[in-house]
Amino acid sequence: MSAARGEHGFLDDSRLLGGLPSVVAAAHEMKSPLALIRQLSMTLESEEISNYDRARILQQISLTSEKALRLTSDLTRSANLAGAMFKLEPINPYQVCEDIVKEMQPLYQAYGRKLYLLNRKSPLLMVANRDLLRRILTNFSDNALHYTDSDLPIEIKIHARGNMIRLGVRDYGPSLTKGLTHEVRSGLNGANQLNARPQSSGLGLFIVSQFAEFMNGKIGCVRHRNGTTFYVDLHASRQLNLL
Amino acid sequence: MKKPRVLIIEDDIWLAENYSRLLSSKYQVSHCTNGYVAIDLFDSLRPDVVILDVLLTGASAFTLLHELQSYSDTGNIPIIMCTNLADDMKIPDLESYGVVKLLNKATMIPSDILTALKSVLK
Repeated sequence: MSAARGEHGFLDDSRLLGGLPSVVAAAHEMKSPLALIRQLSMTLESEEISNYDRARILQQISLTSEKALRLTSDLTRSANLAGAMFKLEPINPYQVCEDIVKEMQPLYQAYGRKLYLLNRKSPLLMVANRDLLRRILTNFSDNALHYTDSDLPIEIKIHARGNMIRLGVRDYGPSLTKGLTHEVRSGLNGANQLNARPQSSGLGLFIVSQFAEFMNGKIGCVRHRNGTTFYVDLHASRQLNLL
Repeated sequence: MKKPRVLIIEDDIWLAENYSRLLSSKYQVSHCTNGYVAIDLFDSLRPDVVILDVLLTGASAFTLLHELQSYSDTGNIPIIMCTNLADDMKIPDLESYGVVKLLNKATMIPSDILTALKSVLK
């Protein structure tokens, strides 16, 4: 399926959570998974449930917990960024993306969806911290899974743009409207983000935009006719040129 | 006897699956994840009752409610609103939209959905 010509916009992290305290945003983000886990746990207590349903609910509880814990873990990471605990080094983005695809596979399978990495032959190196980069891509992949309502697979794409390398996660959900894309372009704030991507305060995006900035990069999004690509742009490493 | 038709509009697929698990023995359950699809489904499904989340991808629940209220055949379909935002809402404010029950996802027990449906369809 061909995407319509995209509209680009960088996320301005300084305005991302404007007006919405991070504690409130974190509480909002945690409410949905906790409510789901509670509902599923209570359903498990029913004696009428089949073994198949029991196994499926247990898996859903486990995967939902992991997803919620990723947010809490990202929050902790973002608080420690100032301490410069994260070393930047030349990284093969293809390898990191492959790891993300493998890591997210159980969650995607449980939803009956697919995540795959578009092939790229030529070698690339980017300057990044592996842990932070993984967290950015995991956040994008989590979002893409939630907001995709078609059976089309979600794609991770890598491509070089001058001295930058872009890693994008493309979903096939309802496209952001032009107005909402404008909001993204001019910087998501908490209240607007609630409308742009319901059930989200924008906290996850705010955190990963900090991770990107720490690595001298930026996150942004491209609006398509039938979905959205969220991406991170990071500097290419020159090490390959020296070989 | 024909089972009453229930349309669940909920973008959390696993929560919707859990509702369906509880309801499917007594009701004919259909599910969609957003308001745009729901609007298309109303004509074909003719639901007797709707279970509706508020924060949906794409059109919000209130856009959908406005749309439903603007037609005589959909305006009288009872709506059970099931949301994490229930603390911020009051039934009297929602009644004009066709909302007859308001359930809080964070505090309800699964059988509350069944109880609400029985009460609405009696």
